[in-house]
Amino acid sequence: MAALRSSASVMLGAAVSRPALRSAAAAPAAVRGMAQLANGAQHSTTASGDQPRLKTFQIYRWNPDTPTEKPRMQSYTLDLNKTGPMVLDALIRIKNELDPTLTFRRSCREGICGSCAMNINGTNTLACLCRIPAESNAEMKIYPLPHTYVVKDLVPDLTQFYKQYKSIKPYLQRDTPAEDGKEYRQSKADRKKLDGLYECILCACCSTSCPSYWWNSEEYLGPAILLQSYRWLADSRDEKKAERKDALNNSMSLYRCHTILNCTRTCPKGLNPGLAIAQIKKEMAFS
Amino acid sequence: MASISRSSLLRQVASVPKLSIATRPAFQRSVLANAARATAFHTSARRDLLPPLPQRVQGTVNDPVPVPPPSPSHGSYHWTFDRLVGASLVPLTVAPFAAGSLNPTLDAILCATLLIHSHTGFKNIIIDYVPAYRTPRARKFFVWACNAATAVVGLALYEFETTDVGITETIKRIWTA
Repeated sequence: MAALRSSASVMLGAAVSRPALRSAAAAPAAVRGMAQLANGAQHSTTASGDQPRLKTFQIYRWNPDTPTEKPRMQSYTLDLNKTGPMVLDALIRIKNELDPTLTFRRSCREGICGSCAMNINGTNTLACLCRIPAESNAEMKIYPLPHTYVVKDLVPDLTQFYKQYKSIKPYLQRDTPAEDGKEYRQSKADRKKLDGLYECILCACCSTSCPSYWWNSEEYLGPAILLQSYRWLADSRDEKKAERKDALNNSMSLYRCHTILNCTRTCPKGLNPGLAIAQIKKEMAFS
Repeated sequence: MASISRSSLLRQVASVPKLSIATRPAFQRSVLANAARATAFHTSARRDLLPPLPQRVQGTVNDPVPVPPPSPSHGSYHWTFDRLVGASLVPLTVAPFAAGSLNPTLDAILCATLLIHSHTGFKNIIIDYVPAYRTPRARKFFVWACNAATAVVGLALYEFETTDVGITETIKRIWTA
């Protein structure tokens, strides 16, 4: 599966690996490196620009206006010389030039909004962070996030996901006011505990890759929501830890996690929801 | 595109349940019709055990999902107990072979721990795959079947330990047979 991931991760290799994302200093440098690399690659191909590099994209199509028509895969062929390096660039070009009825969510095109989460070549990832593999001529298959109700084409319905997010009360809960009446202060060590948790953009890639969440999404919260849950459990400023733990202390909400770790493997931001869930379990076991 | 080129073949298979489709209740009819439609799309076999229900939103989209009441005996205590049992199985399994001698008490403890371990393991499978909100009666049946199986196996192991050679010795003999 690691090989199926975008070549972005292959090309950048160590640069965007997990520890690099953690340390704030290394991350911007790595991202800048990616942009330069992409530009360089494009210039060299357009300069040599002899023959078109054709790539076929097979995209899941389903239209709610004709609900009796079954979903189908539609093929689009693009010339990669005239397309940006990422899958989202290809999707936008298909929508602009080939088929305006193709529907997908997108916003920031730089991996910070989480709108363009979809299943690309069998891996849940953000289309804007997934490089089109240039070295192979194989078709790319693009599906909506697995085991979600589909609104249209590549747009999944995340209602249940957001309702679950709301149920964990994702905000600071405190009764005591700040000592100086200004802000809730935190030591550097306490702040460090939130690294690797606050970066989550709730794209739902991990939750929809989790078999446990596929079977029990009605009751099991799923990795993304549990990572957020731990983000508030780990926060030194929050004062409702006991209530938060009580809300998870039943057979379904947390303990349907069987450490399958699809979540950690698929996370397009390089976070580790599996570790966060293990930390919750550990805290609840010894408290 | 493979799925579409294969669809005519699969559609014949999928059309078989349509013969009696009119006699079934509306929900089943829609599920069957959906299955027929989906079969042509999926290339792998599709078995309609608990097909996904039509989407239902409890309350409005802005309401949080209900938080279940805390029950540590099904949550944290249960999980911790499971891990302790699982971890204790490792030394229990190794001990008789490492010591080179057999202690009937240790053998009985190993039996009991194995039994508890497999009971909670099977229970976990049932909780995963037989959802209580969807199939409450099947859930009850499976849980009681699991309890009954554990009781029968427990009784059998008790008989085996008290009147026969015990589990470690049996495995030893089978190993060298």
